[in-house]
Amino acid sequence: MQLMISILYDCVYHSAPIILAVLGGLFAYKANVLNIALEGMMLNGALFSVLTYYFTRNFAFALLVCLLTTLLYGLIFAFFGVTMKGNVIIVGLAINMMSTAVAGFILVMMKSSNIIIPEFDVNALKLNIPIIKDIPILGPILSGHPVLTYVSFLLIFLTSLLMYRTRFGVYVRVVGESEDAAKAIGLRVDLYKYAAILLGAVGCALAGMNLALDRLGLFTNSMVAARGFIALAAIYCGRGKPVQSSLYAILFGLSRSLAVNLSVYAGEASGLFDCFPYLLMIVVLGAASYVKYKNVKVRGFQV
Amino acid sequence: MKKILTLALAAVMVLSLAACGGSSAPAATTAAPAAPAGETAAPAPEAPAAAEVKIAVVCDASGQNDNGYNQSAVEGAKELADQYGIAYKVVEPTESTGDTLAALAEDGYNLIFSMEYDFDALVSGEAGADPIAVQYPDTTFVVFNATPNVDAEGKTIHDNVISILYNVNESSYLAGALATLVNENADVLFGDGYSFTPTSQARAMGFIGGTNSDGITVFSYGFIEGVQHVAQELGVTYDYYAKYDAGFSDVAGGSTVAGTYYDNGANVVYAVAGSIGDGVAAKAKEEGKLAIHCDANKDGQQPGYILTSVIKNTRVVVKELTEALMNGELDKYDRITMFDLASGSTSITDLATISAAIAKTDEAQAKWTEIQDYVKDLSAKISDGTIKVTNMQNGDSFDQSTCPNINFK
Repeated sequence: MQLMISILYDCVYHSAPIILAVLGGLFAYKANVLNIALEGMMLNGALFSVLTYYFTRNFAFALLVCLLTTLLYGLIFAFFGVTMKGNVIIVGLAINMMSTAVAGFILVMMKSSNIIIPEFDVNALKLNIPIIKDIPILGPILSGHPVLTYVSFLLIFLTSLLMYRTRFGVYVRVVGESEDAAKAIGLRVDLYKYAAILLGAVGCALAGMNLALDRLGLFTNSMVAARGFIALAAIYCGRGKPVQSSLYAILFGLSRSLAVNLSVYAGEASGLFDCFPYLLMIVVLGAASYVKYKNVKVRGFQV
Repeated sequence: MKKILTLALAAVMVLSLAACGGSSAPAATTAAPAAPAGETAAPAPEAPAAAEVKIAVVCDASGQNDNGYNQSAVEGAKELADQYGIAYKVVEPTESTGDTLAALAEDGYNLIFSMEYDFDALVSGEAGADPIAVQYPDTTFVVFNATPNVDAEGKTIHDNVISILYNVNESSYLAGALATLVNENADVLFGDGYSFTPTSQARAMGFIGGTNSDGITVFSYGFIEGVQHVAQELGVTYDYYAKYDAGFSDVAGGSTVAGTYYDNGANVVYAVAGSIGDGVAAKAKEEGKLAIHCDANKDGQQPGYILTSVIKNTRVVVKELTEALMNGELDKYDRITMFDLASGSTSITDLATISAAIAKTDEAQAKWTEIQDYVKDLSAKISDGTIKVTNMQNGDSFDQSTCPNINFK
């Protein structure tokens, strides 16, 4: 039972940052912009949340700086990728490399290989929800996470509303599905692409903050460890739908958590759980592609 | 306007090309303006041989500010420069270790310390080129933590490559013994702010390694034997949780692995996995338990929650070998040289930081002194050879049955 609880708790732990990145990133996906810079933006979020907190000891300020700097990356991405019509893969790659380099530079300036906030108390950030925490089994799983983790799960539904129940969401999707049609009805296409990319930056900033500051109170330059790319994969598997994509994110979290928790029992074989989401992804993408194209008789033509 | 721009661009390109050609190691940074270092060998009236001695330290990916492994070597070089006025250079390679080594050797550095874990270009040659050790026979290269310079029959390949091995198994042994003693007496030693699993419920130790190689298991098996030593004396049995594939980057992942070990009754988790150790230490603080760090004295990272760190002191090696070179005694070193506990280049920390966290009661202080004395005694026994610790780096093999008091999970 204890094992089950810690598996599910860790699942929430590892899912949250990926969900945040997914929810931000799927707007760009829907607006037909491939944003591979999620990884770099997450790293930036992690860096500046910890760095600002380190110097100011102010949580709100850390959040603000982390959002603003990541939005700056979003603007750079949008400017070169949308306004200048550059190749978004190249721009995204540049941002990923740049954020690592900026982080490396700052670490060198600080003469350290990491940023650690010594008296930071991770437990103080954990929210113990009054009634829920007393429920057996569910309590220890659902209670005791930092605020951003709860925000990430709430955002799944808010994002869903924003995407399907508001004019903004409809326009973003129109821009993504047919840019010409969007132009024809007088939409400012670039504006919606900018907005979509910037929303991605916000999601990634929060994801980075959740990963680094909320959970650990420290930053190291490699700590995002491809979570941004995993988020991108989750978006593709869920076809940019908030709930589905988030479910994939949770699946990744669960696999990570299984790999971690079962290592006590299964030893190194538990690492195989880390393969699970990737295998599933191949199956899902393969099956989806098969279903979609099975009636296409002529190569290169879609129905 | 365009013409001017073109000209300016062309000028920049020519200049940058010239810059590349000028210094043969573009990635090299000349460190410490305080010391007479750099391209020109500094005049050193007090030590005539020093003028010809130029040493270089090639850092690994962690960089020269890693607060440990690299930094300590750099400090050693700086101290030598201050002391003897020799020239030194610190390099953080950007791409190829081989190119960096060749560039430094070409520049006339006669003793080059390569902290990087990449020996191909040096020992066997890359891309059809001769090994760098052959190309520059008058330069001595020093590599760490591995023995790439032996052939299948165990013979030395290049005479100018020295491999340095740290007997971290011995210092890990001390860490294991210390961790076990602390675990047994945790309720006495520590006051508020900790939540240890009492020994009546479980006895366990955790180990997180970056990758399953001799370079990592050398720590783990030494640690196990240290735990075994104390467990046997006390007649108790410990569960041993270990993960050898944690990688070196995913801090959050490593931190949750430590969390599961703590949940399963371990009060001490030993991390040998680069920056993941930082995450393990953070977790120790979150859970009110203890972590053991490695490579440098990182006890101050989460004061009170890091029991000790297993240190590799590269400073000692840099100084000792450079002084040997200056005295013309470099040949007396074996091509594989062990720096063991007795040499002082590997050890656990002086425990100053954790001592401050021990409860202020007489009972706790007395117990803590007793434990420290016990560990010092062990250290002496290892140094004089009474206790022999399995050394995976040196081709020993580890037999689990020699540790009957350890329950391998």
